Amino acid sequence: MLGKLMKYEWKATWKLLLSANILTVAMTGLARCMMLLMEQTNYSEFTMVDFLAVMVLFTYVGSMFAVCVGTTIFLIYRFYTSTYGDQGYLLHTLPVDTHHIIIAKVLVSAAWVIINITFIYLSVIFLLASSSEIFHSMMEGMVDMIEYLGAEKISAFTVIMTLLAFLFSIFAKVLKMGACISLGQLSANHKLLLSFAWYIGIYFVEQLIQGLYLIMTLFIRNQVTQNTYWGYGSYFDNQWETTLLAGILSCVVYYMLTWYVMSRKLNLD
Amino acid sequence: MMPVVQCMGLTKTYGRKIALNQVNLNLERGRIIGLLGPNGSGKTTLIKIMNGLLKPTAGEVLINGHRPGVDTKLRISYLPERTYLQPGMKVLELVQYFQDFYPDFRVDRAYDMLARLQIPPQERLKNLSKGTKEKVQLIMVMSRDADLYILDEPIAGVDPAARDYILHTIVNNYNRCGSILLSTHLISDVENILDEVVFIKYGSIVLQAGAEQIRRNERKSVDRFFREVFAC
Repeated sequence: MLGKLMKYEWKATWKLLLSANILTVAMTGLARCMMLLMEQTNYSEFTMVDFLAVMVLFTYVGSMFAVCVGTTIFLIYRFYTSTYGDQGYLLHTLPVDTHHIIIAKVLVSAAWVIINITFIYLSVIFLLASSSEIFHSMMEGMVDMIEYLGAEKISAFTVIMTLLAFLFSIFAKVLKMGACISLGQLSANHKLLLSFAWYIGIYFVEQLIQGLYLIMTLFIRNQVTQNTYWGYGSYFDNQWETTLLAGILSCVVYYMLTWYVMSRKLNLD
Repeated sequence: MMPVVQCMGLTKTYGRKIALNQVNLNLERGRIIGLLGPNGSGKTTLIKIMNGLLKPTAGEVLINGHRPGVDTKLRISYLPERTYLQPGMKVLELVQYFQDFYPDFRVDRAYDMLARLQIPPQERLKNLSKGTKEKVQLIMVMSRDADLYILDEPIAGVDPAARDYILHTIVNNYNRCGSILLSTHLISDVENILDEVVFIKYGSIVLQAGAEQIRRNERKSVDRFFREVFAC
């Protein structure tokens, strides 16, 4: 049943979200053309082509922002209407386990977030690569940064684990959204407002825990090393562990909250 | 034989408001049962609890001896009082959807009913009128061979001709071994198809009896009797 739920979740989301990514591709192409045109014009004077190129680049940045925000809003709207809105009457009367409902929604939503991020990263790289000058300085900057941070010592294992930690942080963000919407359902009235209040509350607690952890870590490190320099390489080597652990813990907590409301406290209006 | 529905001390409160008050109810198999009561009497609350869409404050409900869950959802075919379909879906995609999730869904029966109503399978639900959407929803629900059909206000808000079609569809397509629980406050329209009636008032069951028994004992129609019981 999980596969079927995922199939219908994908079907319900792909048209709009794919269109958003096509917009990213189209805007990238347009922006790249404008950058190439700008390179060929005289630097000393500001021509109509330059003006157009600047406008296109502004639109490009705006559209990337709109795609990110739009995708997030659409995924929140989709989760809310299909789970706790009218469509929830069908979803919650299907002979499927609550775990499958949550997993299907989270996997499809996370997949779209990853697709979006990938498209935007590729778009920026493609755009910058249009100018050989910018591309070369960007690559030189990256090499300098790697040398400065001592990151050439980072192993392949660390890179993989960092990517895994990034993946879990995406799942945690999607699950947090689901948990906040679900917790809002515990109230008889103003459910959406309460969901938003839960989000702010959870965000505050997360920041508090992160701040406390950072202070404690720095303090312990100072004590252990007696204020000697550790180097960035060792810092990066340890960073993924914390991010991965935080991601996994967040996933578990938000998943359990969502599951608890859906299976034990479901109250559709 | 075990009743298809057993409610034991079922209570549901919303803050101080009592929606259901200590409901004890058994529904037998193979019968068409009318859940009758005025607006706000607790009909929809009771139905939602049976479907697992609401959690009771106290007491429990058993469907085929099981608490609401995956097992009971396999055996209940539920028509809510609202449209629960994805507007972007085509009718044929909806048929596929029901076929994918419900093993007892009969595709040929669904297409037969759609053809009789001249509803094109290629049409998107958002392009259909409200009345047609309700009919599509009813067709999906009645195309299953369920143990229990729970129909919440299936004839509310539709014209008399559509009511006839809906009732005709219900009576001719349900699984004869199963039961139908039909909630409504429009008694005169459904009276002739009911085997049994349950009167619900202020969240409590005030009467459960055979429709024929009421007509014989009270010497009046169920509709007339309902108006007396629920007179303001």
